[in-house]
Amino acid sequence: MQKIAIVYSFNTMKTSKIAKRISDAFGKNAVEMVNVEDVTPKQFLKFDNLICGTATWFDGELPNHWDEFVPELEDMDLSGKKVALFGLGDQKGYPENFLDGMGILGDILEAQGATMVGFTSTEGYTFESSGAERGDQFIGLGIDFETQGSKNKERVNGWVEKLKLEFQ
Amino acid sequence: MKKDRKYNIKTTDKKTLEKWFRLMTLGRLLDDRAPNYLKQAIGWSYHAPYAGHDGIQLAIGQVFDRETDHLFPYYRDMLTTLSAGLTAEEIIYNGISKDLDVAGGGRHMSNHFAKPEWNIHNVSSSTGNHTLHAVGVGRALKKYKTPGISICSQGESSVSEGYVYEAINGASNEKLPVLFVIQDNGYGISVPKKDQTARRKVADNFAGFKNLRIIHCNGKDVFDSMNSLVEARKHIEEKEEPVIVQANCVRIHSHSNSDAHELYRDDFELNYVREYDPLAKFRRLLLRYERFTDEELTVIEEEMKQVVKIAHKAGMAAPDPSPDSIHDYVLPEPYVPEKYTDGTHQFEGNPMKLIQALNETLKAEFRHNPDTYIWGQDVAHKEKGGIFNVTKGMQKEFGKERVFNAPIAEDYIVGTANGMSRFNDKIRIVAEGAEFADYFWPAMEAFVETTHEYWRTKGQFSPNITIRLASGGYIGGGLYHSQTIEGTIATFPGVRVVYPSFADDAAGLLRTCLRSRGLNFYMEPKALYNAPKAATPVPDDFEVPFGKARIRREGEDLSMITYGNTSHLCLEAAQKISEEDGASVEVMDLRSLIPLDKEAILASVKKTGKVLIVHEDKVFSGFGAELAALITDEAFEYLDGPVKRVGSTFTPVGFNRILEAAILPDTEKILTAARDLLQY
Repeated sequence: MQKIAIVYSFNTMKTSKIAKRISDAFGKNAVEMVNVEDVTPKQFLKFDNLICGTATWFDGELPNHWDEFVPELEDMDLSGKKVALFGLGDQKGYPENFLDGMGILGDILEAQGATMVGFTSTEGYTFESSGAERGDQFIGLGIDFETQGSKNKERVNGWVEKLKLEFQ
Repeated sequence: MKKDRKYNIKTTDKKTLEKWFRLMTLGRLLDDRAPNYLKQAIGWSYHAPYAGHDGIQLAIGQVFDRETDHLFPYYRDMLTTLSAGLTAEEIIYNGISKDLDVAGGGRHMSNHFAKPEWNIHNVSSSTGNHTLHAVGVGRALKKYKTPGISICSQGESSVSEGYVYEAINGASNEKLPVLFVIQDNGYGISVPKKDQTARRKVADNFAGFKNLRIIHCNGKDVFDSMNSLVEARKHIEEKEEPVIVQANCVRIHSHSNSDAHELYRDDFELNYVREYDPLAKFRRLLLRYERFTDEELTVIEEEMKQVVKIAHKAGMAAPDPSPDSIHDYVLPEPYVPEKYTDGTHQFEGNPMKLIQALNETLKAEFRHNPDTYIWGQDVAHKEKGGIFNVTKGMQKEFGKERVFNAPIAEDYIVGTANGMSRFNDKIRIVAEGAEFADYFWPAMEAFVETTHEYWRTKGQFSPNITIRLASGGYIGGGLYHSQTIEGTIATFPGVRVVYPSFADDAAGLLRTCLRSRGLNFYMEPKALYNAPKAATPVPDDFEVPFGKARIRREGEDLSMITYGNTSHLCLEAAQKISEEDGASVEVMDLRSLIPLDKEAILASVKKTGKVLIVHEDKVFSGFGAELAALITDEAFEYLDGPVKRVGSTFTPVGFNRILEAAILPDTEKILTAARDLLQY
């Protein structure tokens, strides 16, 4: 399996924790951590397998670190790239836009030709609406520190096992 | 941000980016500097900082076209107005309330930026009530088939106000070219938005409305804000329907300089709102995408500091408003009749009922001026015209564009009249304020607001509106169908209040109202609509000037000063006194309460030495209290007795006829009081 990039902001707390947990689950030599705050298109395109992590800010926005990279993403040809997403949200506090950031990012990456992998079931989550929903699945892995933090480990580990197959 | 949208960090031309950066930098310098004026006791005591709203405010100003559009900024819209074209000097003149303030010469609160000359309207501090005005001017844009849109900007908490619902409902129902921009920073002063409404995105509460599009954008991002407003404008112009844009913002500072947000926001929140500073983001983008170098941006920042310095000097040197000017622009000069200069006539035709006089005068004025409009509840049907048929036949003759029904929303009726009259100065609006005067109270905020306009804008905007109301009792109507409200209305500077009691005066006053600039409150004693005693011959062209009382009966021994329904009761009492007591009573029908014919009142008092003030409204705090005070103040030495008053008891008007009779004044009560007074 080729090396996987985990792209996220190094200046985050919770997203960084999940990124590290994913990295540990894959094994450190299998992944490279990439900071979205200063990543260049060239660095991003170097990878064929990517995991992108984002929180949802305000009432359903991408954080600035991703939003400011979007104009670059929108000029990329991501055909042949496999991309998995993980998103952080608060289904109880913000049930109207749970994991919207992940959904927005997914839309952009898909539009640029990426093959999205790592979909997960929406079962076990309670929310009103989510921009990350694709039928009865999320476009990536949903993490909720606020409401279901105790499930993080199990969810990440299960997801990574699935990704190991999908990234083949 | 989608790449197919018009504005993008990679493709937007450098000149445009530079213009935006200049405006945003200038705005922020002024926004940051404003509190210093208060600290130095120079002024700007109200400052609502906009930092965190930069993207959407820049965008509002950029999509506004001063040749065609109308803009209603709210009190946080400093960058909006700068982006729309105001200069740094104009911002500072307003901030420190100088006479050169283009919003209104320092008359309105600071941070209420406006330039009526460009249709950047001077709006209230009553948060969100300008939605009604924006919708009203949108109605005019549509009726006159004029290009342009009406842009209304407000905070998300103001959407809790009932009149905002009325405005959006009306814009949707009438399909008006209105862009509502909701700047959502999550707070109404210290109240989080969860305490305002259940949905976090308040615009979605309107999702069920027809003819209305809702767009959400990131108000902290220049490009998303620009693209969303361009899209909204295109939609309004192509689909001819309103749009709401809800822009998510952050409030980096406190609500205003009288608020301490540290008391209700924790450090985590205060840090992240600073991290989401829209200006910092824009600057980062300009550098990251190599559109500007750091040196280039620094040069611009230094230039803007100079602009602010120069503006500050101009502000400090600018003259203050003169205290002698306070009485200027309370009301515009009225129409002055040339033929009937004192509002009387010698015409001897067939008597016409008061209701017919109103109907025929309205029709005549609608023929005379094609820019006249009337709306209200129930006013426009084929054969019916209002609950009492005052407007009967008007829609048939003048069409649905000029004569139309309003929803049962009194605030909307009056507020949109205010808005529509902003379109041009030729327009004259007759608003039937409510089915009955008693139902006018929901419109009070729109009414009060309208009384301020001419003064607040230093004469730049005159709301040319006549509010008609079927008023008063004697019909067994009880609460909500019997009260008369002039005692309250007359306390507001900025409105003329007239109250006829005969058909000819009703016609003459209505004509003068419809030919005058300014706000008129026209009270119709509905019990007299069809009463033979109120019917008179009415010359076709009759006019009654404002502020001219009419002696309906000459007398020497006592003056009865009255208006409306009680004019007739006074005349009956005067006749009886003449027949039974041999005394001579003068009956003066004021006709016009504001302006008041002080000269005629004092002349009558000086002649008779005894005054009985009679009106239908409550004695306690009724308009008569003001008359009594005036007379004792200015004609005390001519009085031979106390100034007495007859009016309603200090109770609501009861429905049972026995209760109504006990409460309202009648001929017997007037006779008793007059006879007492004649004993002095």
